[in-house]
Amino acid sequence: MISIQNVSKHYGAFQVLTDCSTEVKKGEVIVVCGPSGSGKSTLIKCVNGLEPFQSGTISVDGISVGDPKTDLPRLRSRVGMVFQHFELFPHMSITDNLTIAQIKVLGRGRDAATDKGLKLLDRVGLKAHADKFPGQLSGGQQQRVAIARALAMDPICMLFDEPTSALDPEMINEVLDVMVELAHEGMTMMCVTHEMGFAKKVANRILFMDKGQIVEDDDKDSFFGNPRSERARQFLAKILTH
Amino acid sequence: MGYQWNWSIFGSPVPTGETTYLAWLLSGLQTTIVLSLSAWLVALALGSLVGVLRTAPSKALSGLAAAYVEIFRNTPLLVQLFSWYFVLPEILPFGLGDAFKQQLSPLTQQFLAAMLCLAFFTSARVAEQVRAGIGALPRGQKAAGLALGFTLPQTYRHVLLPMAFRLIVPPLTSEFLNIFKNSAVCSTIGLLELAAQGRQLVDYTAQPYESFIAVTLLYLAINVVVMGLMRIVEARTRVPGYLGGK
Ligand SMILES: Nc1ncnc2c1ncn2[C@@H]1O[C@H](COP(=O)(O)OP(=O)(O)O)[C@@H](O)[C@H]1O
Ligand SMILES: [Mg+2]
Repeated sequence: MISIQNVSKHYGAFQVLTDCSTEVKKGEVIVVCGPSGSGKSTLIKCVNGLEPFQSGTISVDGISVGDPKTDLPRLRSRVGMVFQHFELFPHMSITDNLTIAQIKVLGRGRDAATDKGLKLLDRVGLKAHADKFPGQLSGGQQQRVAIARALAMDPICMLFDEPTSALDPEMINEVLDVMVELAHEGMTMMCVTHEMGFAKKVANRILFMDKGQIVEDDDKDSFFGNPRSERARQFLAKILTH
Repeated sequence: MGYQWNWSIFGSPVPTGETTYLAWLLSGLQTTIVLSLSAWLVALALGSLVGVLRTAPSKALSGLAAAYVEIFRNTPLLVQLFSWYFVLPEILPFGLGDAFKQQLSPLTQQFLAAMLCLAFFTSARVAEQVRAGIGALPRGQKAAGLALGFTLPQTYRHVLLPMAFRLIVPPLTSEFLNIFKNSAVCSTIGLLELAAQGRQLVDYTAQPYESFIAVTLLYLAINVVVMGLMRIVEARTRVPGYLGGK
């Protein structure tokens, strides 16, 4: 589904990604972790072309992201993305947040889009809030709406960039629960997160990044059992004692 | 000093007898309003476009937009007005300049030059506000729009500009007020707007205090109306749960 091959990226002289390669198969859940500044966000943004990269190839569902001929908006409309700071559109009601891209990008009718949006809103447990505005919801609620907004586009896979790290602790689980459910339904997911409980529950593989490189790309059990690199071991020790 | 106040001059007939001094003032007021409003609409449209281009990913486009802003913001309004009115018609190619001078009435020439001058001058200032508004939005908003499959223009149209404009209502209000004040400069090319009519009244009636007080009050009235309008705009577009909204 997602294939990343020998991807490197730099800002001027600063190397953000160095020779990154990995593969996400249909239905797989991949968790990406690593210290701050290691390039996790950059890597995941390369997958839907939000960040350009200088060398290597990334393809999603067989379509090359870096190819200038690729219709990026069309590709992105099929790849869901959830951000650390939710990024709902503050001037639109929750319903409009859920429907606008369906209408403007996919060309769905307003009624069909609203129907779909409200169903997903119900699924994330927020049906009663359809007419509110993002600023009137808590962080956890906003993030659940953001997930519903992405799902409304019927994505073939979902990208998550630290979806719970801007949340108060008591709201983290309500978002993780939605993500776990998605994973169980077979959604292909690439999640940057430090929620190791989530990783243990649903991840197929864990990528560990450091200084722009993918240092580990292990299946879950061997990563938690016995990471091969010293850096991953230290990182795990740090976050697991919290 | 024995100044003779005489408020009844406004009702007296002008020398040609066909109308009153009050009618002169009101026609000046009308010119000021029509001129400023039309210039404001052009300035908003042009300024929005240039402001958006200033944030465009293309270096060439944003550079061009920056040059535009520099030119129209950093040269005196009076110089710009003379350029539009006296210089441009001389250098316009394809006989456009001659057409301007020969086929349009002097009044239309003055109005057109004044309108374009105010519009371009103000558009540069509007552009700066629009750019600042876009820059003040969280960077993730653009990414979120693009990630949903919006094209870049769609992202501006549906995601960035609606919030950017809401943020800049207060500075746009003061630009809107400025355009009325700046329009007084246009009397220098002979356009009979409010300030010019006020001066004419002084010349004809020798009652300067009454004339200038009346003109001042009319400018103040415009201010009050504009601020009221913009307050309504602000209230109508307020976002629930955001900033000052509830
Ligand atoms: N636009 C940019 N210009 C220069 N450096 C950047 C830019 N964006 C990110 N970086 C740098 O790239 C590195 C990786 O950033 P990021 O992918 O956000 O890391 P992570 O998500 O793992 O914390 C960081 O050192 C960051 O400072
Ligand atoms: Mg990050």
